[in-house]
Amino acid sequence: MYSFMKRILLQTLRVPNDPEPPAGSPDSIRVFRAGPRLYYWNLFHWAFLQLFAVMGLFGTFAMVAKVADHATSLVGTMLHVGELLGVAGFLAQLPFTFWKQKLDYEMRWYIVTDRSLRIRSGLWSVQEITMTFANIQKVQMARGPLQKLLGLATVEVSSAGGGAGSKENGKPQGADRHAARFEGVANAAEIRDLILERLRRYRDAGLGDTPHEAGPSAAEDLLAAAKALGIAYRR
Amino acid sequence: MHFDESTILAITRPKDTLWTYYIFVAIGGLIAFPILLPYLYFRYHTMRYRFDDEGISMSWGVLFHHEIILNYSRIQDIHLRSNVLERWLGLARVEVQTASAGAGAEMTIEGLDNAEQVRDFLYSRMRGAAAETHKAPVTGLDATLHAVAQELHAIRKLIEEGKR
Repeated sequence: MYSFMKRILLQTLRVPNDPEPPAGSPDSIRVFRAGPRLYYWNLFHWAFLQLFAVMGLFGTFAMVAKVADHATSLVGTMLHVGELLGVAGFLAQLPFTFWKQKLDYEMRWYIVTDRSLRIRSGLWSVQEITMTFANIQKVQMARGPLQKLLGLATVEVSSAGGGAGSKENGKPQGADRHAARFEGVANAAEIRDLILERLRRYRDAGLGDTPHEAGPSAAEDLLAAAKALGIAYRR
Repeated sequence: MHFDESTILAITRPKDTLWTYYIFVAIGGLIAFPILLPYLYFRYHTMRYRFDDEGISMSWGVLFHHEIILNYSRIQDIHLRSNVLERWLGLARVEVQTASAGAGAEMTIEGLDNAEQVRDFLYSRMRGAAAETHKAPVTGLDATLHAVAQELHAIRKLIEEGKR
């Protein structure tokens, strides 16, 4: 049932196929997935929101009951119809949003190669973030109390930029386009160590300086000059 | 990495379906519809892209004209985004980031039907990725210099012999 629904949903939403790995040598590709418990975390989140929705519905019921006493019969009926619609809408979204939680957990890819990383997530709005290690400025790991209970953590990798207001106390506000997040992973320490190890290969500042290029080309010029000199003297 | 460089360098306009997308966006704006639609109409019709050897430039707007020029070598991250509506229309956005501040994207290339190829193309030219193409190590420099030195040595010897 679930896999059938999933196929239908992915087709209707035109979700693209599994992401392709970014640049890097093929044997260095590591694909990480979200920890299985992220599903529970998602469910918890979902249940919390549903609880709020139920509370909202009951709140409106109470208000409608008060208002309906004083209103004309027509307005009263309309209010009751509105109530019924609200309940129907709530019940109708339940299975879909419930399924979405599992899909959201399944549709996450964190790909790391020796040169770059790519993070693909999302169902409704699909996003694929690609960063090269040469540009990475900061790696940070964070976990909340509930995440700790579930053995999950989030690794965040950021590049230069990401101006004022995008972060508050180290927490991104909204979508920071300069950061890639390994959301809800069970092996955060392993991912962090892997990234740090691969970062070590880049010793420059990561701000547009490409020191590799100057060296070889200068040496080549020198070699050409030396060869010319040698030929000139041999004549 | 698979892309046809010539087709990407030839991109100058977003796809026609972007206008369809904009109409839906304007409808989604509800009461803002009468303001959004003309804005998006002019945005779509004046939007121009130019991919050249150095970088990308993008311009739009009539009353408020905008132009963004980015150098490939300054690109930091490239993101690919699409919502359901865009995917139904076969479109996607490529968001290009540089190191300048700001939480939003520096340049959003909208209305592409080959966004993935454009992403790979930009990726192959940006720093970090492009810098990886190391030149072959120079071999034979010391041997050549050695030969030159020997030649000079021989010449000096000849000159010194001639002086005597």
